[in-house]
Amino acid sequence: MAVKKRIFGYAAILTLVLFILIYSFNVILDQKREESLLDRVDDLFSDYEELQAILLLSDVAQDEKMTCLALESSLVYLNRIWETGRKIDTYQSLNEEFLNDPAYAKMKQKFNRGEIMYFSMLKKLKDECNVDKTVIQYFYKRPEECGNCDAQSFVLTDINKELNEELTIFAFDANIGGPAVGLLTTYYNMTEYPCMVIEEDMYCGLHNKDQLIGILCRYGNLSVCS
Amino acid sequence: MAIYTIFVYVVWFVAIYFTIVLLLLILSNRKQLYDSPVLDESKPLPKVSIVVPAYNEEKKIAESIESLKTVDYPQELLEIIVVNDGSTDRTAEVVSRYKGVPNLIFIDNKDNKGKAARLNQGISRARGEFVACMDADSQVQPDIIKKTVPYFRDPKTSAVTVTVKVNNPKGFMEKVIEIEYIIGLSLFLKALSFLNSVHVTPGPFSIYRKSVLKKIGGFDETSITEDLEIAHRLQRYDYKIASCLTTYVRTIIPESMRGLYRQRRRWYSGALITFWQYRDMAFRKKAGVFGVFLPYIYTVMVLGLILFLSSSYLGLTDMFHNLSLYAHTNFNFFEHFSLKDIDPLSVSVFGVFGLSSIVSVFLLAFIGVKLTGQKIRSKAKGLMGFWLLFFIYQVFWISAFFNVLFRREVKWR
Repeated sequence: MAVKKRIFGYAAILTLVLFILIYSFNVILDQKREESLLDRVDDLFSDYEELQAILLLSDVAQDEKMTCLALESSLVYLNRIWETGRKIDTYQSLNEEFLNDPAYAKMKQKFNRGEIMYFSMLKKLKDECNVDKTVIQYFYKRPEECGNCDAQSFVLTDINKELNEELTIFAFDANIGGPAVGLLTTYYNMTEYPCMVIEEDMYCGLHNKDQLIGILCRYGNLSVCS
Repeated sequence: MAIYTIFVYVVWFVAIYFTIVLLLLILSNRKQLYDSPVLDESKPLPKVSIVVPAYNEEKKIAESIESLKTVDYPQELLEIIVVNDGSTDRTAEVVSRYKGVPNLIFIDNKDNKGKAARLNQGISRARGEFVACMDADSQVQPDIIKKTVPYFRDPKTSAVTVTVKVNNPKGFMEKVIEIEYIIGLSLFLKALSFLNSVHVTPGPFSIYRKSVLKKIGGFDETSITEDLEIAHRLQRYDYKIASCLTTYVRTIIPESMRGLYRQRRRWYSGALITFWQYRDMAFRKKAGVFGVFLPYIYTVMVLGLILFLSSSYLGLTDMFHNLSLYAHTNFNFFEHFSLKDIDPLSVSVFGVFGLSSIVSVFLLAFIGVKLTGQKIRSKAKGLMGFWLLFFIYQVFWISAFFNVLFRREVKWR
């Protein structure tokens, strides 16, 4: 019976070790997720700094062609913005602390700031270099406060995949996006979510894919419009 | 931490702990798994009776009797008692063909009273010191008596179970159930026998000490799982139930899912009723490990069921939510997903816990098949699908709970 009793003890230890291993794996995974997001957001910022440096140089040289070349190179980074934003949301939902995790909230704020910087750059690019790229500013809130935001994000992800080269979507979290996002929502006098601003026109409420494509086609000749 | 998360951790812990205990028990006793006492043929051998209750078994009963005729035991010390339970088919006619077999007794009842009643009737006629009870759709190995009788040398031993094998499994589900039988009705019972906690003496073939059966009042004729009930009663009376893996009985299993559902609904309803009937044994010192094992296994089962229901609810809600999202993109499934979207960092902790549970079940099945000396390749299909049973059986357990709670009648057949 002594051997049998020992088995119960060994089993308890083994189960505990296995539990700790899996739990630790999850903790490591959480760290990796955070690191991966931080890297992505940092990349966005360092790329932005690089572009700023080129812009300064082109301003000094007063060469419009150089400015446009520099700004056009930023388009590559713009394509990654929506994907990074979605990644932050996905990883945030996997984190046990979910919305209350300060690390993710901080990252989201930083990311939204980065988005605003790129948004400004894109605006300049459109004005000065005649770049034909449709821009959507998408404002959303957490699901408890906005029943349709999840669906709108899904539609935008789908459209972004289809029109990645022709479209840039900046997604702003109105809950934790920080003061810069707050400023934008006040500027647009936003009261309803989800809400999209396309070329200064506001479209609030849920729009499905067909509706959104119809709207987008009013602003540019996209490949899906023909 | 969310309540659901804690609940998942608790269920995972109790279930994995149980699996590990089982694995350790099997592995630490692997050398004794196939140790069985040898029959001393130099001494006078005891008389043995085999009782075979039959109800509408015209297709299988002949095979069963043929297999019994091959049993390697002195014919004058072996009697076969076939008890007809008011069959409406040609069972009586088929059995009558064996009238020439000198040690075969046929009790041809015209009324239907159920398996337990017919077992008791057969036992009352039996002259053997030991009585084996066998299903009419099963076939035994010739050495089954010589291998099981020596266990009764221990005066505390009241019953002996044997390995139960699925007869000629063909389809995928049959191959999966074959693995379940290897693990659940053979290796698991052997492991429990090391703890003196065998909770069932399987119906296809189990052998009992007749004096004990008489002392405890025979089979419970009101029980829908008489083989489970009698094992619990033997445990209550502090008798020992041994398990023999060196011989086996082959039995048939339901061919259709509907048949399997009906069989398992009866088994599980019977298990719940029996557990309730013997609830006083839980945590009773006199009941030993059985007293702990019994509530533990039902706790695992109930917690697993709650987890299954809650996860199913969450999973289905999630699925409908996703479908509603796709509705906004004209169900553009293929464009939304691409291989580059697969992100290993998106693995959730629940996914890892779930996967580890499946792996542990698979490991148990793999070791089980290996230890029972079978070729992994020949059992590959069953092994691959073994974990599926845990999902299917949850549905059967829910049905059984409903039966018991709402006192719906579950018939033996």
